[in-house]
Amino acid sequence: MSEEEKKRKEKESSAGEEKGKFIIERRYVDDSRIIEPKKLELGGIDMSGRWGTLVLPRTLEDFDTEIYRDVEKLPRGGNIGKCWQCGNCTAVCPVAHAHSEFNPRYLIHIVKMGYTSEIKKHHEAVYLCSGCGLCSAACPKGVDPQGVMIAMSIAFKAHESELTE
Amino acid sequence: MKAPDNPVLVIGAGPAGLQAAKDVAEFGVPVLLVERRKELGGAPIRWSYHTLAPDFRPTEEVMGPLIDFCQSNKNVTVMKGCIVDGYSGRPGDFHVRIKDETTKNITEKVVSSIIVATGFEHFDARVDPRYGYGRMPNVIGINELEIMLKQGRVVGHDGKPPKRVAFIFCVGSRDRSTNPWCCTVCCGVSIKQGIEVKQLLPDSQVYMIYMDIRTIGLWEKLYWESMEKYGINFIRGRVGEVYYTGEKLLVKGEDTLVRGPFEVLFDMVVLAVGIEPGPGTKQAAGALSLSLNEYGFLAPKIPNVHFDSGKEGIFLAGACVAPMSVEEALSEGSAAAMQAVKLGSRLMQKVPV
Repeated sequence: MSEEEKKRKEKESSAGEEKGKFIIERRYVDDSRIIEPKKLELGGIDMSGRWGTLVLPRTLEDFDTEIYRDVEKLPRGGNIGKCWQCGNCTAVCPVAHAHSEFNPRYLIHIVKMGYTSEIKKHHEAVYLCSGCGLCSAACPKGVDPQGVMIAMSIAFKAHESELTE
Repeated sequence: MKAPDNPVLVIGAGPAGLQAAKDVAEFGVPVLLVERRKELGGAPIRWSYHTLAPDFRPTEEVMGPLIDFCQSNKNVTVMKGCIVDGYSGRPGDFHVRIKDETTKNITEKVVSSIIVATGFEHFDARVDPRYGYGRMPNVIGINELEIMLKQGRVVGHDGKPPKRVAFIFCVGSRDRSTNPWCCTVCCGVSIKQGIEVKQLLPDSQVYMIYMDIRTIGLWEKLYWESMEKYGINFIRGRVGEVYYTGEKLLVKGEDTLVRGPFEVLFDMVVLAVGIEPGPGTKQAAGALSLSLNEYGFLAPKIPNVHFDSGKEGIFLAGACVAPMSVEEALSEGSAAAMQAVKLGSRLMQKVPV
């Protein structure tokens, strides 16, 4: 059995069940970082269950600026580099007030810094943008966050296969 | 009273001291300039600053005319390699003992007033071991990067230009375990250096790892320009440890904007070391019985009037009072010179002191 098949089987078998139920303070750990093999035999002893649960580190390991460069090249994304993370955009955003997962400041930051793991987790939130343009009016540095959101959605679509893997 | 004939003593020949000496001398009043080191110019010359923030003005352009003036003007007597060892007397008629540090000879001079401009030292990053300064290659201070920039050659220990450079802000500043004050200039200086690194190595990636950006006043333009024109990245967070992997430096820290700990490889780590009072300031305070504040800087009588030492006839100027930039030190030197000349003219009118 290849590594990929193994992973898929594990995924299927654990679907619908709560992952990592033995972990104390479970709400702080993302599902994607818990590895819970159904069958883990070590020296003939079944080690699955509580003592076989692994939690992957959430350390960011590199700055991957590929998506950032793509956003920068798009017509309305050219100003993303000006952002200094003040948060005026999120403060005025009517969508952000209703949906906690949509945070224009945060999206700009993770793209700018190239935190791929974070982008994978949050990229779909970009489509919640209503395009009202309040953020672009409030931005003190002329980043045009509304335009950046449009550019980002285009760039995310272009990188969809790697972001949803 | 012979007061006006007596020279004004200036201790320290940095930006503040030189400016004070120049201004006093231009009033026609003689100046005695005492410098502990063998050269004039203070910190910008001693540590070979390449350019000065925020306008990238070459250091020589700022300091050169001052040094030349003090070396050639007939009103200025320069004593290099000397320190002030003690004093007695009263304003207009101070008797100071000046000690030559190599020959240990003591000369006594009569001066009308004293301007103290003993400056600062860079924080020694070895004191804060988490950054590995002094133990790992390619971990340098902003003072060392400044020398590299002056030579126009930014390279690691292997002679190769770095591809990814991290600046770590507030090293030895704003930290109770080292120095709890803000050095006020290192944000601006680091960003200035980041821009210069980008100009020299356009393909390099420069990351600024900061706690707060304090580019005060008009220096803010550096911050904007570095981001908008040069694509320098800013990471809000702190660094916990730096490891040398044998090839690169692994920087361990947290990006507080994403609640994300990171471990990223860099080719060079530049520490924005802070400003602290040097041994010269402590020595001068002892010799002139001036009071130091809780941080070891000279304490002015009123906190926001820097030149007033609280002792008549002794004035303070520059970074021995508080951390400051060259531009501020120059104006403080001028302010202290004004006080010394004012005192001299008052004594000449024989107004009872």
